[in-house]
Amino acid sequence: MRGRLWIYAIFLMSGFAALLYQVVWQRSLYAIYGINIESVTMIVTAFMLGLGVGSVVGGAISKDPKRPVLLLFSLVELGIGLFGAASLSIFRVVGDVTLGMSAVPTFLVTFLLVLVPTVLMGSTLPLLVAHLVRENKNVGKSVGTLYFVNTLGSAFASAAAVLFILGKAGQTGSVRVAALLNFTVSLLAYVAHRRASRASETTRALPDTARTTSGDEKAATTAANTPEMESVS
Amino acid sequence: MSFAVALVVAAVAGFIALSYEILWYRVISFASWGLPGAFGLLLAAYLFGLAVGSRVAGAICKDETKAGDTKQLRALAAFTFVANVLAWLVVPAFGWSAKRWDWPPALAAVAIAAALLGAILPLVAHFGIKPDDKAGANLSYVYLSNIIGSAAGSLVTGFVFFDLWPLQTIGTIIACIGIALAGALVLLAEMPRAKRFAGFAGLAVAALVLVKATPTVYDRIWERLLYKSKFTDDTRFLDVVETKSGVITVTQDGTVYGGGAYDGKVSTSIRWDRNGIFRAHAVGAMHPAPKNVLMIGLATGAWAQVVSHLPGVEKLTVVEINPGYLELIAKYAEVKSLLVNPKVEIVIDDGRRWLNRHPESKFDVVVMNTTWHWRGHSTNLLSTEFLELVRTRLAPGGILYFNTTSSDDVKKTAATVFPYALRVYNFIAVSDSPFSFDKERWRKVLTTMKLDGKPILDLEKEDEREFLEQLVAYADTVNEPPRDDGLESRESVLARADAAGASIVTDDNMVPEWRQVLRFHNPP
Repeated sequence: MRGRLWIYAIFLMSGFAALLYQVVWQRSLYAIYGINIESVTMIVTAFMLGLGVGSVVGGAISKDPKRPVLLLFSLVELGIGLFGAASLSIFRVVGDVTLGMSAVPTFLVTFLLVLVPTVLMGSTLPLLVAHLVRENKNVGKSVGTLYFVNTLGSAFASAAAVLFILGKAGQTGSVRVAALLNFTVSLLAYVAHRRASRASETTRALPDTARTTSGDEKAATTAANTPEMESVS
Repeated sequence: MSFAVALVVAAVAGFIALSYEILWYRVISFASWGLPGAFGLLLAAYLFGLAVGSRVAGAICKDETKAGDTKQLRALAAFTFVANVLAWLVVPAFGWSAKRWDWPPALAAVAIAAALLGAILPLVAHFGIKPDDKAGANLSYVYLSNIIGSAAGSLVTGFVFFDLWPLQTIGTIIACIGIALAGALVLLAEMPRAKRFAGFAGLAVAALVLVKATPTVYDRIWERLLYKSKFTDDTRFLDVVETKSGVITVTQDGTVYGGGAYDGKVSTSIRWDRNGIFRAHAVGAMHPAPKNVLMIGLATGAWAQVVSHLPGVEKLTVVEINPGYLELIAKYAEVKSLLVNPKVEIVIDDGRRWLNRHPESKFDVVVMNTTWHWRGHSTNLLSTEFLELVRTRLAPGGILYFNTTSSDDVKKTAATVFPYALRVYNFIAVSDSPFSFDKERWRKVLTTMKLDGKPILDLEKEDEREFLEQLVAYADTVNEPPRDDGLESRESVLARADAAGASIVTDDNMVPEWRQVLRFHNPP
């Protein structure tokens, strides 16, 4: 259970960072491409499609039960953080180059511009769902709970962004806060992956150990491999 | 539920949820005068609702063998129906809340409706996906389907519906789509024939009641949101123009509100000045030959009408983001000639983007009767970066003249970016070349200018001659201690802005928008 809580906590932070990026990036792109309804729709649609594509990519990766989904999640968060840290500069450069383009090429450039981070963001939910379903075999509960913590993080970010962060830190500062969160999430996910790996290595070694230990020792070893004890190992 | 059905239900649910969000965004923007903080709080309430809804749905999904079970579709159909009816009631909830406590309490209605809408996705995933090694992959398809539906909702509702129908019709259409989805789930559910027909009949009656009740439940929603506590049974707008670009309303006294914020009055009379229109005439006092003028923002058309008739103006280019104003201007005799004036070219575009895309254009004067500095995205037209952009589009001796809406931050920014500045009431004129509010030019403008062939002042009348002298004397206020409605030198503007703790506005810090997150305005 504590292992799962660990996952929920980092996914909440991940959702917080993602929404913060979305708010700032939209602002930045609106300043470049305009706030008329065509630009707004174009940018919002590009974000959504990126998330959708990311979801499929994450789902495809998670199909193979041997793939270390937590490690992949950690790398995805690292990637989001790295892109996020450089994002505003990238937008400005691309914006200068593409400003004179007509609607369709502008949509394609905007789509490609937000494709990298949004694909990474979109892949996180299927990766973690795969991780939890391997453990509890309950899709609705896994999706519901992960979606809950991630969206809750986004809800907090939305309120915090307008009440505190944007006013105090501006766009650059807000993006830095988000990137810092991504790096933290990446690190915590990596730690969770290492612990889960060690636990499964111990599980695999268990039959051999069991042959040479007493009943009490066996019970203690088994307990140490349950999800609730992951944080102790 | 089969996996294919799960994909379709997820897409339609996404379409409905995003369509409602767009609807609610339009409503809260109007009720809050476009406060950026209001949108953030709407999004927070919406996401919080989605989060709680998905959590509750997750808690319901305890059984591990629901995937493929069509009996569950009954529960999902009932759930979808309730979610839609409640979501349909959110807009009226904003109207009800506005009358009593302004818009914030209505966020609770947003959260509740979003919670119900948000619970649909996990339920669909649970009933449509088997808990095997492919769960992550299959979830991704359901999620993608939901996102495609959401994107379609954003495109169709935001782009098509808003141009075709008023808010109440769109609310009804979305609710009916939701009821149709519930009907489809009843059709697919495993249940006795009699119960199925009862389900269809119930949904059909509900849809009919909803359609019939809409005119009453959504009655004068824009009036309720604008007049708030002052809304009465007699409150009614003169005009309402709803397009995909926004909502424009006109009160009975001719005051125009764009997106719920005061936008001016359809009035060009300097003699009976109800909207500070003398500030538009003042362009002629500051620039000796304003031949080529750019105006960003058209609104009621009153400013463009005056500027296009200023002595010496040969070409006026107006960039307006909302085409709905053209529809409005055509209805008012005082300004409708603007639409056929050969000197005037009206472009529908974002002002900043248009400037960026026209590097070859140079103007003698750039005029912006900018909206309130605290409204969302106002920074785009007030920041240092924008002012630097305008600088490159000014001809030698050119002037940028725009409304600071009394923001010290904006005044300081303008007077810092440009070496020459003069405040005119709540406007500021800035330039790279020296200029002044020339008293004699001012007198000449006031005595020679005609609007649609009629002198702006009838100097045959004594009271109008006296009024002329009062107006001309305005040029002397620059030598007096600064007052809010007078002229003020650059040095004085900067000193007073610094004393007030003003900051330089940049695209990055967005100071005017975030200096005060929540503001509540007195109804008109």
